[in-house]
Amino acid sequence: MARYFVRRLFAAVVLVAVVSSAALLLTSVAPGDFASELFGSGVSAASIAAERARYGLDRPVASQYFDWIGRAARLDFGVSLVYHRPVAELVRQRAANTALLALAALLLATFLGLPAGIITGSRRRGLAVSAIRGASIVLLSLPSLITSLVLVLLAARTGWLPTGGMQSAGAWDGGMLAGLADLAWHLPLPVLAIALPLAAMIERVQSQSLGSVLKMPFALATLARGVPRSRLVWRDAWRPSVGPVAALYGFILGSLLSGSFVVEVVTSWPGLGRLMYDALRARDLFLVAGCAAAGSIFLAVGSLISDLIQAWADPRVRQRADERRAGAAA
Amino acid sequence: MVTAAALAFAACWSGERRAAGKPPVKALVSSIRAEPRTFNRYAGRDSVLEIVASLTQAKLVRIDRRTQELEPWLAESWTTSADGLVYTIKLRQGITFSDGVPFTSADVVFAFKAIYDEKTGSALGESMRVGGQPLVVTAPDPATVVVRFPSPFGPGIRLLDNLAILPRHKLEAALKAGTLAKAWDVSTPPSEIVGLGPFVLASYQPGQRLVFERNPRYWRTDARGGRLPILDRLTLEIVPDQNAEILALESGQIDFTQTEMRPEDYATLKRAAEQKKVSLVDLGVGLDADTFWLNLRPNRPPVVQHLWLLRAELRRAISHAVDRTAFAETVFLGAAVPVFGPITPGNPRWYSPDLPRFEYDPAAARRLLAGLGLSDRDRDGVLRDRTGAPAGFTIVTQRGNTALERGAGFIAEELKKVGLSAEVAPLEVGALIDRIVRGDYDAVYYRFLTTDLDPALNIDLWISSGSAHVWNPSQVKPATDWERQIDDLMKRQVASLDLAQRKALFDQVQRIVADEQPMIQFAAPKITLATSTRVVGATPALLRPSILWNPDGLGVK
Repeated sequence: MARYFVRRLFAAVVLVAVVSSAALLLTSVAPGDFASELFGSGVSAASIAAERARYGLDRPVASQYFDWIGRAARLDFGVSLVYHRPVAELVRQRAANTALLALAALLLATFLGLPAGIITGSRRRGLAVSAIRGASIVLLSLPSLITSLVLVLLAARTGWLPTGGMQSAGAWDGGMLAGLADLAWHLPLPVLAIALPLAAMIERVQSQSLGSVLKMPFALATLARGVPRSRLVWRDAWRPSVGPVAALYGFILGSLLSGSFVVEVVTSWPGLGRLMYDALRARDLFLVAGCAAAGSIFLAVGSLISDLIQAWADPRVRQRADERRAGAAA
Repeated sequence: MVTAAALAFAACWSGERRAAGKPPVKALVSSIRAEPRTFNRYAGRDSVLEIVASLTQAKLVRIDRRTQELEPWLAESWTTSADGLVYTIKLRQGITFSDGVPFTSADVVFAFKAIYDEKTGSALGESMRVGGQPLVVTAPDPATVVVRFPSPFGPGIRLLDNLAILPRHKLEAALKAGTLAKAWDVSTPPSEIVGLGPFVLASYQPGQRLVFERNPRYWRTDARGGRLPILDRLTLEIVPDQNAEILALESGQIDFTQTEMRPEDYATLKRAAEQKKVSLVDLGVGLDADTFWLNLRPNRPPVVQHLWLLRAELRRAISHAVDRTAFAETVFLGAAVPVFGPITPGNPRWYSPDLPRFEYDPAAARRLLAGLGLSDRDRDGVLRDRTGAPAGFTIVTQRGNTALERGAGFIAEELKKVGLSAEVAPLEVGALIDRIVRGDYDAVYYRFLTTDLDPALNIDLWISSGSAHVWNPSQVKPATDWERQIDDLMKRQVASLDLAQRKALFDQVQRIVADEQPMIQFAAPKITLATSTRVVGATPALLRPSILWNPDGLGVK
């Protein structure tokens, strides 16, 4: 087990190094830079050049990169060009907000998508099946920008929920519970915007997986022994069928934590995706690399969690691991 | 289930939530689209910082954004020497910063020292020079400041409208240590950020909001001696998406925005106005007309092969070829007026209505193009030059800005009708600016935001050596005779102390530009602001920040 974790940790470090390096290099070589935005603001070309020199942006890309990687190896991800603050501090602050949003969305998507997938995977027809399938296709087809805007529009028209943000001003003035309640009041909008398409994806994968499991010999034999279909589905078949969904979790977690920027921008959620979006627009090299590194860490953690869920859900995965261990001992 | 649980929890505590979120008696909420990058006005230059400075700091003099008149602010009065070079400014007495430390002339001297400090590298220092030279500021006594200009300067101390006076007692140590550019970053505790403005920063929640509370030591009162500012609290919610911003305004979650209404939002906000949810304020024609220009740098490779790209006849033909009325209807959905020059009717002091105009006339455009040797040899509707190559160019514009993308598309379509092949290439803003700065483009369609109405304060655009002389910047000597004429006129315009003479000189500049067409404008948008019906005392103006330039008179119903 320890060796497995060391191997995974090494893979994660490589992933983080590659992703953040790629982000830094691609941002460096793209046309324009942090000083470009001074253009048209009455600042002379000489001052723009001085600004570029001050941040070292006039040096060759390779030299900038090796400086940065040297510092990053000591866990110093540099200072944001825009905010003049350590990148690690900015990323940590926003990553916590994104993690909260992502975990809530993942939970909601699972609670909606998994049972829906079991229903559509275990029955061939019926009103519920058609309704769920139809809703899934619509949700999967809608870009997250549209889903977010529709939800914000609903919130604005009905007044049931705030149209954006994470907390009201002075939310914690009324104490801890009032602050948490205010947070809970702001959560549904972005959570729904992220969770609905995810739930649809989980429903589709779970439905197909359960359909396959129900065609397996053990399932057919169980049905042949007179066990009711519903009992077979909810007691025996659903657990081995969640493997493909579990495999999706690693990807979902990684993309949720690093890539929900559209939802974060539209719903004004102060998360990592929005920070990266702002950093990219401002061409804040080190902040872009820091956000990319955080995103890849989330992806690595997501993959690990996904493997653990798969091992829990599918006895064959555990069995293969046991066999590998036994082989190694022999 | 998660959502339901969250809602149930929120509902259980709704009483507390309402109590916690309940605004004080007089509070307004506005939106901003971006994060603050610093709270140090000497270290940054962006729109959010300008708003923060407008709320928390004060200047010696202020330009009334509605009337364009200069008014005393921290300065009580001033006298000018006969040659117009020396201004002796008397400061108001008894004023203190928000932390109680008295304001004196030493703070003004410090402000100039800070912006001209090389290590600070302040963009403000760049704009506070005359002919490239800094102003010399001395303080003969705590209540007097003497400002000496290096050469006669028409706008005079209007220039000081840009300069917020930050507290010497808080920032002098950083200046001496060479770290002023890093002082007052966004992690600075709000209590450290003191000023002479109507509000003090109470809190900053990154990604969420800035909360300002009234400065109890603010020095101004209203005409009847009543306290200012009127508001107890002003919150700036950070709402990056403009669609979400409009919905928040419509639903009453914010009271006003910092940007004007987009044409596509008009129907939504008109409906909200009819329901008495918002008030619409019509500010008339805007200051910033979108601008089209061709690259007139003489030595770039495509120009060497196609010298017709540099000819004024081409620019005049383009101006003739675009139907400005249709442009206003299509690109701005009718919320614009046709314009024929860079100074719009929104800037009445400097606008010149009697300039030569290249009205919509495709036949005239074709004649001008034929005069350049461009002809439709194959009868395929495409003009070709003498080498047989199609006569055309690429227009670069900003990706994601729907008005600019629509505008560039419209221009390309109109040019095709007279035989010019124009392709549109939308670019990310960073890439676009990079191409403009490097001169790597044929034509650009872009929108510059006006920061000052007086042309002398935008001198870099007009003179040939200016870095913002976009069509051919930073020339060692004027490339053309008409640019040399503009240089001469602008030098006289900047140096003249007689407003009527300055206007006459600038009219001549505009006449040359109208004839040569180095920049072509087609329409200027009509500006409408929307505020919630709770807002009172707002004095909206075209120059940004439209409402918060005058924050101490803002109130709430």
